[in-house]
Amino acid sequence: MKNTLLSINEATRTVNSGSNKVTLLDTINFNVEEGEFISLMGPSGSGKSTLLNCIGMLDNFTDGGYTFLGEPVHSMKEKNRSKLYKEYIGFVFQAYHLIDELTVYENIETPLLYKNIKSSERKAMVADMLDRFNIVGKKDLFPIQLSGGQQQLVGIARALIGQPKLILADEPTGNLNSKQSEEIMELFAQLNKEGVIIIQATHSESNAAYGSRIINLLDGKIV
Amino acid sequence: MFKNYIKIAFRNLWKNRTFTALNVVGLTAAFGVAILLAMYAVFQLSFDRFHEHGDEIYQVYTEDSGLNGIEANISKSEPFAAALKDEVAGVEKITRYNGSGVLLTYQDKQLGMGTAYVDPDFFEMFSFPIVKGDTKNPIMSESSVVMTELAAKRIFGDEEPIGQTVSILRDEQQVPFTVTAIVEDFPNTSSMGFDIVLNFKSQNEHAYARTIGRWDMENHEVYMQLAESVQPKQFEKSTTDFTQLHYKNEIDNAKRDGFQPNADGLYRQLKLLPLADVRFANFNQGPVTVSRTMPYLVLGISILILFIACVNFINMSIAKSAQRLREIGMRKTLGANKKQLFFQFWGESILVFLISIGLGILLAVVLLPYFQTLFKTQASLATLLNPSLLLVLILSVLLITLIAGGYPALLMSRLGTLQSLKGKLDVNGKNHLRNSLMVLQFGIAILLISGTLVLWDQVEFMRTKDLGFNKDQVIAFPLNGQLNDQQAIELLRNTLQDKPNIVSVTASNNILGLGKDGSRSTSVLGFEHQGRGVETHMVVVDADYIETLDLNIIEGRSFRKNLASDSLSVIINEAMAKQMNEDDILASQIDLDDAVYSVVGVIKDFNFQELDQNIAPMTLFALPNWNLRNAYVKVSSQNLEQAYTDVKAAWNSIEPNAEFQGSFLNENIDRTLRHERTMITMIGSGSILAIILSCIGLFAMSLLIVAQRKKEIGVRKIVGASVSAITILLTKDFLKLVVIAFLIASPIAWWAMSKWLQNYAYRIELNIWIFLAAGGIAVLIAMLTIAVKTIKAATSNPVESLRTE
Repeated sequence: MKNTLLSINEATRTVNSGSNKVTLLDTINFNVEEGEFISLMGPSGSGKSTLLNCIGMLDNFTDGGYTFLGEPVHSMKEKNRSKLYKEYIGFVFQAYHLIDELTVYENIETPLLYKNIKSSERKAMVADMLDRFNIVGKKDLFPIQLSGGQQQLVGIARALIGQPKLILADEPTGNLNSKQSEEIMELFAQLNKEGVIIIQATHSESNAAYGSRIINLLDGKIV
Repeated sequence: MFKNYIKIAFRNLWKNRTFTALNVVGLTAAFGVAILLAMYAVFQLSFDRFHEHGDEIYQVYTEDSGLNGIEANISKSEPFAAALKDEVAGVEKITRYNGSGVLLTYQDKQLGMGTAYVDPDFFEMFSFPIVKGDTKNPIMSESSVVMTELAAKRIFGDEEPIGQTVSILRDEQQVPFTVTAIVEDFPNTSSMGFDIVLNFKSQNEHAYARTIGRWDMENHEVYMQLAESVQPKQFEKSTTDFTQLHYKNEIDNAKRDGFQPNADGLYRQLKLLPLADVRFANFNQGPVTVSRTMPYLVLGISILILFIACVNFINMSIAKSAQRLREIGMRKTLGANKKQLFFQFWGESILVFLISIGLGILLAVVLLPYFQTLFKTQASLATLLNPSLLLVLILSVLLITLIAGGYPALLMSRLGTLQSLKGKLDVNGKNHLRNSLMVLQFGIAILLISGTLVLWDQVEFMRTKDLGFNKDQVIAFPLNGQLNDQQAIELLRNTLQDKPNIVSVTASNNILGLGKDGSRSTSVLGFEHQGRGVETHMVVVDADYIETLDLNIIEGRSFRKNLASDSLSVIINEAMAKQMNEDDILASQIDLDDAVYSVVGVIKDFNFQELDQNIAPMTLFALPNWNLRNAYVKVSSQNLEQAYTDVKAAWNSIEPNAEFQGSFLNENIDRTLRHERTMITMIGSGSILAIILSCIGLFAMSLLIVAQRKKEIGVRKIVGASVSAITILLTKDFLKLVVIAFLIASPIAWWAMSKWLQNYAYRIELNIWIFLAAGGIAVLIAMLTIAVKTIKAATSNPVESLRTE
């Protein structure tokens, strides 16, 4: 029996838009086990991003339970929650969200700074990462000087540097051409083999196929 | 971590270099000027603070009941000081003090020396340390002289000064004095200034010998050191018997004439004025008023200017934060907490502030010499270098960075992660803050501008007012040579007689306005007339005085050419005539102790004192052989410069060793307005800086707003808005702020300025136009500032602005 990383029970997310209550996620139930590579699929507005944000603790469910590594996230304080995701979760975004003012090297290094890791250790870790992704030659460039695929590569490197258990990727290839997409997806598959759990949100059937499990969302419900 | 912050801070500042530059320029100017102004204010406030016993030293003055209510009087009589020390407990030390200028001769050198005549206690009370010679009792003897290091250097050069003999001109004789001690050059924050110190008894006959034992001749100041156990109030109370004893006559007369007693129910009371207040005391308007308004006003202006620059910084930081939302969101996702983000953004602010403060200090250093000349001050940056003051300065700078840099940082660090990742910023609440800060900025600017305009108006009014005498054609100068005054005038008349451009020559013992030598004196005479006490200013004049100054005789006649025949005649002004209240003024007489004088003429009132005072009763005497002090020469109106040169040449031929310190009377009047002019320059430059800084802020805001509304402008143009409609749309919001600022600031300015004008007996009427002008200037400058950007935005091609979306 594989270990459960997280489990979501009867989770709901609503927002108030004017006087209307809009339900973004409606009584979601699912578990994520060690070693999984999950693809969330569904049309725009079906709640994929919201679900990812809630899992990543950037957003909260308004109702229901969320347990991460046996800890009840729904009843946690903000501070502990941020400690938890800092430790175990890495994010990859469609728009890469690299910090424009920092070089490739510095972008990758930033999460380590917030974890208070020593300088020498940081250097070694970033160097490893650059090596692994074959971007040593680009370490002093700024994000604007890179192609979309390269930027996303840096984005993934940054997500991985903290050695997370879980990577949440929101349309990671949405801004890339098909060749670049393929490379990124291959990379995810490789990472998954090495033991990183991945949850990605995607529109594309072919990308979804990389996953070990596909969850379909429609109007905030799992179908 | 820290390195990372610094790096990103520099990159960010560089990326937004327009705004960084606007901020740095604004803050640098503000810090530079604020440092200079604060230095000036601190310098003014630190006057006379260097005396070790300063807290125990007081100037003694009396509050007398007079015709016009309570009048403060600092002049004291010869026996007063000694009697006070003997008869009233609590006087630790006491000294009389009289200042004047003397002519000192050493070998073939003749030098004018500022002189303080004091009693021996002087050096024990005041901290003028003796560095050489007799440190105990340097002026015990009446033939001793003490001088400052600087004066000794001027007289003796490198020679040893102690034991040298110099001669000083007194009552037309050279009197020898021996140098007994040298005092350290005192700090330039001393309001007592002198080159040499002599024993009080070494004064000339007129100032000392004839006053011995007389309680009715008051011609010097008295300073005393209070015993440590005695409170000043307590001491003032305990002098009642002393005053009753020595001023019985005056008190009885005041009662008889029905004058109002002072707050303690006394008609004459001894009072103590703390040494530190002496410089800020005003005796011109009845009771003493101690006012430190000027230095505090200057300090206030410096704070306002800093405030304006900081508002710019806050507004720009908040507005620019919209562009950094993604970074904030991303950093939060990567695990940054609020505290870390706060310190990152605050750190960036501190960087800007540090650069600005550094440049500001540099600016202050560069501007210092100009500042010193412009405001005729000796204040230097060293004034600020005292430990406790430095601490205050550093703390206030920290506080400023904490608020101006910290507030935007706090706002940014508090943003929600998802919200900022999506780039959404809730701007509604913050616009209120921005708008009120901008209203405040422009309010301050308008306040300062209208202050400058009113001040300038009043000074112009005082400068150009018809004072009742001819101030354009008359040159006045002090009779500062070796000859006695009558001889000097006689020679001057003879020399100038045949010069075509000289109209007439006269002399008097008072000066109108303030001469180049900066010395002034008034004599006030009190006597009984028809059973009432009457007071009048006493001016002794030479022949042709009335003609030279073009005074108007409204009744009777002027003095005769042959002045000797008029030695028992007086001419009075209207105020005096009114006070004497006679039916036939020309038949009335003035009965003084020594003689009876007949009133032979009445002249129209003229402003012989400054314009902050009403014209007081005044009497002109034609006494023979009196100390006349100042010559007046009326010249023809053509070629005034040539006339001045002629008068100068004449004086130089009569007194080759004396400096010619002549100036036209209108220059003298101008000199009395120095204080007001300093204020105008201060407030004026403050207001210019305030409006420039406010406009820098406005400019930055217009840049940002235009950028933010680019799409809106594009859409509006596509649906048919004209260029002018869009310009008005963009300008309107800002102008609204300036108008609100005007509505708030004007009443405050009106109130403050009318209060200030109360200080002047002769003043302008405030009218609405001054304030409208100030508001108009602000609106106009504001409009010009934003016009560039808004018109450019309004004329740009809408397709371009929409394509970027």
